[in-house]
Amino acid sequence: MDRIQIPATSRSPLVDFDFPAGRLLLRGESYPEDAAAFYGPLLQALRACLDEEGGPLIVDVALSYFNSSSAKALMNLFMPLEDAAEEGREVTIRWLYAQGDDTIAEAGEDFAADFSHARFEMVQETAA
Amino acid sequence: MSGEPLAQGTSRRGGSLRGAGPMRRGDALADLGFTEVPTTQDGGADTMRPGALRGAARGRNLDGLAHALFLRLSPVIAAVVLATQVVIAWVNYGDQIRIEGVRAQMMADMTARALARPGWATAYDPQLQALALDPAFRYAVLRDASGSMVGRLGEEPRGRNFERIQVSAEINPGPADQPAGSLTLALSAEGLRANAEKQFVMVLGASLALILAFALALRLAVGRHVLAPLRRLLSAMGQVEHKEWVTVDLAGRHRPSREIADISAAFNRMVEGLRSGDEARHLLAELERTHARLAEANGLVMESLGYARRIQQAVLPGANALREAGLEVAVLWEPLHVVGGDYYWLEEIDGLGIVVVADCTGHGVPGAFLTLIVATALDRILHDQGLRRPEAILAALDGVVRARLRQDAGASGGAPDGSDDGLDCGICVIDRASGTLDFAGAGLALTMLVDGEITRIKGRRHGLGYRRTGREEALAGTTVRLRDGQTFFLMTDGVSDQMGGMSRRLLGHRGVAEILGRHRDLPLAEQVAALETALAVHRGAEPCRDDMALVAFRPTMG
Repeated sequence: MDRIQIPATSRSPLVDFDFPAGRLLLRGESYPEDAAAFYGPLLQALRACLDEEGGPLIVDVALSYFNSSSAKALMNLFMPLEDAAEEGREVTIRWLYAQGDDTIAEAGEDFAADFSHARFEMVQETAA
Repeated sequence: MSGEPLAQGTSRRGGSLRGAGPMRRGDALADLGFTEVPTTQDGGADTMRPGALRGAARGRNLDGLAHALFLRLSPVIAAVVLATQVVIAWVNYGDQIRIEGVRAQMMADMTARALARPGWATAYDPQLQALALDPAFRYAVLRDASGSMVGRLGEEPRGRNFERIQVSAEINPGPADQPAGSLTLALSAEGLRANAEKQFVMVLGASLALILAFALALRLAVGRHVLAPLRRLLSAMGQVEHKEWVTVDLAGRHRPSREIADISAAFNRMVEGLRSGDEARHLLAELERTHARLAEANGLVMESLGYARRIQQAVLPGANALREAGLEVAVLWEPLHVVGGDYYWLEEIDGLGIVVVADCTGHGVPGAFLTLIVATALDRILHDQGLRRPEAILAALDGVVRARLRQDAGASGGAPDGSDDGLDCGICVIDRASGTLDFAGAGLALTMLVDGEITRIKGRRHGLGYRRTGREEALAGTTVRLRDGQTFFLMTDGVSDQMGGMSRRLLGHRGVAEILGRHRDLPLAEQVAALETALAVHRGAEPCRDDMALVAFRPTMG
């Protein structure tokens, strides 16, 4: 499984899915015109990665804004992760949010409710 | 007589030395291959005319320059060389004549001395015969003292005396008894003249050869190093005139003269400058054309969107639709891109006030398509099916959207590239008669402001529609008892998701609630307007991220 790296744009986040290292990262803002087109290939790659045997997986999500289509796309990404964790894979999702950003923190808490097997950590980032 | 033609020739050529010269334009030079050309003045006028460079570039005017040069120089050089050589020849000839005269006198004296003895008048023959041995000898005559001829040898010459040298010597025998006499000797000067003539012809020939060599060498040098490069330069100028950006090759086999090389280099720099300027102009023109096309395309799209917005606005209800239901309503509806996926429904049915706010996925045209599905579905659900419970309406809406978008088609929830779209939706059903408000939400919360205090009633987390994941929560309603001082808000996430502020983060629903609380004493419409202003202040330079829709309502007094 190759590493996927996509630079951030004003409407889409930085993507760094380092499958060999088991580290996945989304950082920035996410409101692409066509969220399905942006996240579709990422979801396929993630599914392919989870189908293979592998070590622990750490997924960092550090979004400062995402629209409802992106929220839906994130949910679609999280579901196979939760399923993999249920099947015994060690999966950790780290929800990174800026200190004082209640909206993103709350959204993280909402997503956390979907996980019972994967670890979902809320990580507050202090302003750089 | 051989002297006559020579005299004529000398006078003719002598005239040439003093006058303007016998070499009129076109005789000697024409032999060298030069041809008649227009005058320089004409050439100058030619180059002044636009497009005249084409003619000049063929080099005719350059030949004109060469001709002018050769025609002015050659006669002067020829005249100077000829004059010098002829003067030298003339002086030489004079010297020869003088020396010949001295020699003739000496011969005459010697013969007279030899004859000066008694009886000379009869015995003179051997001496005269000796004189005749001289190749220049023409004629000798002996006379006695009385002047009568004693003897003679040769033929007495006629004609002008400059063809011969004639001298006389006295014969003086000494003793008085011997009669005295005289010897007259005439020598021919023809040999000398022939020599002088030969010399003159040689000088003339040498001068002509010199001029020829000079003209050829000059023409070759000027042709190679001046005219040919100039011709190349002119031809390049002609092409540049027609925007063919050619430069002049300075490296050729025959290097141009330094000045022309400098001019050519300057010309090449100018052409490079013109070429880049021309390219920039072309690019700019191309850019302007593209821009015009884009502006036209954009204008068409915006026109079309403006039309679509009128249709979408026509579908939206008026803010006073719930007056009958005893509700004051204020609305904020601002799509991100002219039309959008945010939608609201206000209707009074059988005394019930029904408020629906929906946030369909996407914005712009795709979002607007979904709002029309929602509008049609709500119409059917409320009027045909007669549903009044908000959670039931949501469930029915969920079903219609899935059916319309064929999201339940396959076993796995539809085709892989099928629709995975849906909406967040909040519904309030207000019953003034019983004093209750029933709310149900799917991804959309109800905000309640009572005496400056904000309460937020969240519905289900997941929205309606989308492919089934099997994790959807059940839809449930919440009932709120109505009392004075309550204001309710249903808003899409576009209202609270305002990126901006000092720390550049989302305003959030807490930020929105704080703004609403600050303006709680204003009339409802002004409260919403104040919120809109505050949102714009928070965004600052950041653009809007999403469509915005907010419906504020409060039960009217009495």
